[in-house]
This record gives sequence, structure tokens and C-alpha cells, in this order.
Amino acid sequence: MPTMRDVFFNKLYSYAQKDRNIVVLSADFSAPSLDQFRLNIPNQYIFTGICEQNMVLLAAGMALEGKRPVCYAIAPFITMRCFEQTRLYAAGMDLPITLVGVGAGAAYDDSGYTHHAVEDIALMRTLPHMRIVQPCDNQDVAQAAEYAVNTRHPLYIRMDRYGVDSFYTGERNLETGLSVVSAPQPVTLLASGSMMRVALEARDRLCEQGRTVGVLNANALPLEPKTFRRTMEPVRTLITLEEHVLPGGLGSHVLELISDLGLAIQVKRLGFDLSEGYIKDFGGRDYFYQIYHMDADAVLETMRGMGGVKA
Amino acid sequence: MKNNTGTIAMLEAKTLEIKNLVLDTFEKGKCGHIASSFSCAELMTTLFYGGLLRFDPAAPQWDGRDRFILSKGHAGIIYYSILADLGFFPKEELERFGQRGGKVSVHIHTSVPGVEANTGSLAGGFGVGVGMALAAKQDLNNHLVVTLLGDGECYEGAVWESAMFAGGRQLNNLVVVVDHNHMCCSGFIEDSLGSEPLDEKWRAFGFDVVTINGHDICEIMGAFEGIRCRKSKKPLCIIADTVKANGLASVENTPLCHGYAPVKPETMAQARRELNGGGR
Repeated sequence: MPTMRDVFFNKLYSYAQKDRNIVVLSADFSAPSLDQFRLNIPNQYIFTGICEQNMVLLAAGMALEGKRPVCYAIAPFITMRCFEQTRLYAAGMDLPITLVGVGAGAAYDDSGYTHHAVEDIALMRTLPHMRIVQPCDNQDVAQAAEYAVNTRHPLYIRMDRYGVDSFYTGERNLETGLSVVSAPQPVTLLASGSMMRVALEARDRLCEQGRTVGVLNANALPLEPKTFRRTMEPVRTLITLEEHVLPGGLGSHVLELISDLGLAIQVKRLGFDLSEGYIKDFGGRDYFYQIYHMDADAVLETMRGMGGVKA
Repeated sequence: MKNNTGTIAMLEAKTLEIKNLVLDTFEKGKCGHIASSFSCAELMTTLFYGGLLRFDPAAPQWDGRDRFILSKGHAGIIYYSILADLGFFPKEELERFGQRGGKVSVHIHTSVPGVEANTGSLAGGFGVGVGMALAAKQDLNNHLVVTLLGDGECYEGAVWESAMFAGGRQLNNLVVVVDHNHMCCSGFIEDSLGSEPLDEKWRAFGFDVVTINGHDICEIMGAFEGIRCRKSKKPLCIIADTVKANGLASVENTPLCHGYAPVKPETMAQARRELNGGGR
């Protein structure tokens, strides 16, 4: 199965062949799919060295000259090392710069927390004009590539390290950020990125018990408020699942929306609680999900603990 | 004609005029960096009034313009004074410098006509200029990209990321001018970090380097001579040796003069006297 980055760059390449203003900047991060840029359209592939700050500055200068830069690096480095450059230029000047970060959450589970991107959404959410796309599967990624070449604004695509087969065939909507996987129910799971797998496992286990929950894919932030309100009409209890720290991520965003919209929805958030420190364990993401109480067992347990919810 | 032309005498007079305009503007807004502006005053006026840069105030986005970025964005008060004087925006706007309803203030933003990039956070403008120079090369455009940096700005690591890229890519359409006034906020730049030899550093990063007296208009013009037909493939770095707060005898080259702010009428009167040859 192709990785998310290969799905993305293959699709981007098909656009770049027809539009010489699409340029990829790589901070010494490669992918098999990038080789076709280097070989066939070398002017549209720029090796920036391991210099994320300069990469975003270059992208800003190029965007001001009419280019559509796509910057590529491991997720923590493309969001945090160069955050100020992204703030001042991509967001501050509202330039069509796309940041592609690979390794959402703790995807680099074998690498330690230097390589974890668990605060990136909290940071990027604060930036004006910035849209965050977090694909849950390769179908979302292909759509993200199309979005990247058409948007006039800054974009951060938070990709998983691996490829993920399409979880569902329904419509994906990166404009609203909400796509329905299983129709909303009084109890609904709102998942992003790799946590979609957890949400679907929880749904299926509940289904075996004869219980029904809704599942929604939050594949882009911020969520569009009107769509959110409409989608939430049948929902009384919402559980958010994200591979991100609890402050500032999807769950925080949902709480803010619910408060702003005046909705009466009970919310529980599952994600990394890093109040005791960063993740220093190894053993794989599933193990992380288990010890940080964000796996399918945790979803079911959370539902049991919520008043009025049977699970 | 897109160029402005002028003689050295005219440029010296224009420099004095612009410095006075900076003081007037400061007096209105009670903000802005005078000392940092006066160290690069001759550089700025020679670039904009000496025919070195191509631009058109009536068409700020004219494709053929040279891209100028004042990377040391804290000297915005002199940049805005020049842009207003040239007609990029009404000079009356300077009357509201840093005030409610005003559009210009201490640091530089692209909401102002003539400004190419936000600057104020050091090193950013330079890297954006490098990106512009790369794009110009890719699109076979022959305009120049000129960036003006402070020497204290050269403390920033991102400056050297961008320099390494520009040198490695042989962006000979890029000119870096370093306002080498030897001072940052806290004192002399050599006192704490090994910033010297600055010229050798830029040379090592792949630049042609010339060192000039940054207050000598003749030397500034000489450094730009033949700039559009350089045979060298390297980007050019002009290290302009300057004096911080140049022209204000009581504060120039003085530690902590970075924050020099003649907010009282008597200190402003003294500044005007010193600037215009009336002694302290």
C-alpha cells in the first residue's frame, strides 16, 4: 500500500507537470514519489537542506512571485522549528504555502518524542487563514493534494507515516472538515487521523453488542460552524479522539464550538494527557493508545462512565 | 523612466532631508528607531534616489521593479519616510505614525504600498528575499533583489541558513547590504559573540564581499557599479561600515543608543540642532 506521502506527491506531480509554478521544497526529507520531480521537472524540486526556517522563508518569497510552494518535512520540524516564519509570512501575509508534515502524533513511535508531533494542531490552529488537513486514510490524502493546488491560503497537511486504505467510500469534505462515516447518533465518535481506526473498532464492538454509535471524520480544521451545528442535531454525547495533546487540539476546538454555538452536548475528549511529561515509552502506537487511555477499550469505558450512556 | 538619478551633493542633501523627516515623524508618533535609521540613512537614500533601484511609486507592483526588503525592519521609520517622500502613499500618513487610525508604525508590513515583505522579526526579510531571487532565476526575470540587514541581525541563525542557500545556489541577482554599525540593543556586537570577521563569514558562505564606508555616497554608488551585469555567479554582500545614530553627536556610537528616543521638546530640539550642524 502506498504511503500517504506517496499518494500525495503522485497526485501533486500530475498537477505540477501542467503548472510550473507548483514547487516542492524539501528539508532533506525524501520519498520515492519525489524522485519524479527531481528527474523530470527538476526546477520544481528544491532541496533546502535541513533548514526549516529558511525553507518557509524561501516559500514566502517564491509565493510572492506567483509560485505555489509545498514545503515538506517531518511534522514536528515543519510546524515547530519554523513556527515564527509560518506565522509571519504564510499566515501573516496569507500566502498560498502548503506545509506537508509526515508523522502525525506519535507516528514515529520508535523515534522518541523529538519526532512526535503532538502539539502541532494547537499551534497551527491559532494562525489566521491557516487550514489544517488531517487525513484519516489515503482517500483523504488524494483530496488534500487537490485542495493544496487550489487554495489561495496557507495549509498544513498533517500526514500519517504510513498508508491507510480507505475506511469508507462516502463523500469527503475538506471545506467543512466534517464527513460522515456512520450516521450521527445520540452517542457519536468524532475522530481525526489515525484515531479513525480506533473509533471504528469501538463502533464495531458496540455493534456486536447491539448498540449503535455515529462516527464522524474530522479531516480538516477549523470545523465549519453551520455544518457542525447541523450534523450535531441528533447528538447528545460526543467523544472526540485525536492523536494530539488534549490542550488545543480537536477536542478543545469542539468544546469552543459547542460553547460558542450554545449547543447542549456532553463532550469527552480522548487524546494524549502529557501533564506528567512527554512520551518516553516505546512499543508502538497501539501501546501508547493503551497506556494513555485512548484505545477502543478506553472509548467503551468512557461511555460507561458518562451519565445516561449505556455501553 | 523608472530610475531616479541624482548627484552626490543632491543625495547628501536628500539624506539630511530624510533624516529631518524621520525626526518629524518620530515627534508625531513618539515611537520608531532613530539610531538604527540614521546608520543606514545614506544607504537608503542612495538606493532610492541614486538610481540604483528600479521602481515606480505609481505602480508599486510593477513586475520589472527591483525587490527591496529592509530586513532590519526596526528601521521602518526611515523606510516609510522615504516611501512617503517618493509618493508611494500620501506624506500626510506620516503625521499619524504609530497612532490610532494610522497605517504605518515602527516595524514594516505589506499593507503599506511599496513594502515587499513583513519585517521586524530579524532574519525573515532576508530569507524571503532569497526566495524571491530564486523565483526570479527560475522565471528568467532580470530584476535585482536587494536586502538590507543589520549586523546584530547577523546573530540570527536563520540568516546563515538563507546565506548558505543563496551562496550554494549562486543567486547572483541577490545583493545583501549589511549595515555594520557595530551595535545591537545592549552594546557593541563584538563584545559578547564572535561576530567578526563578518566579511570572511559572508565570503565563506559563497558571497562576493566588498566593504565600504556606509556613509560615503560615492563608495555606496561604487559598490553598485555594474550591478546588473556582474560576471560573478555569486551573490554580492556589501558590508557597509557605519555609525549608529550617525549625525547625532551626543548619542552616536554610544552603548544603549538603540533606544534613543527624544520624546521631550528639548531633546528633540537638541537632536535637530545636532543633525543640522548647530552643535550639541
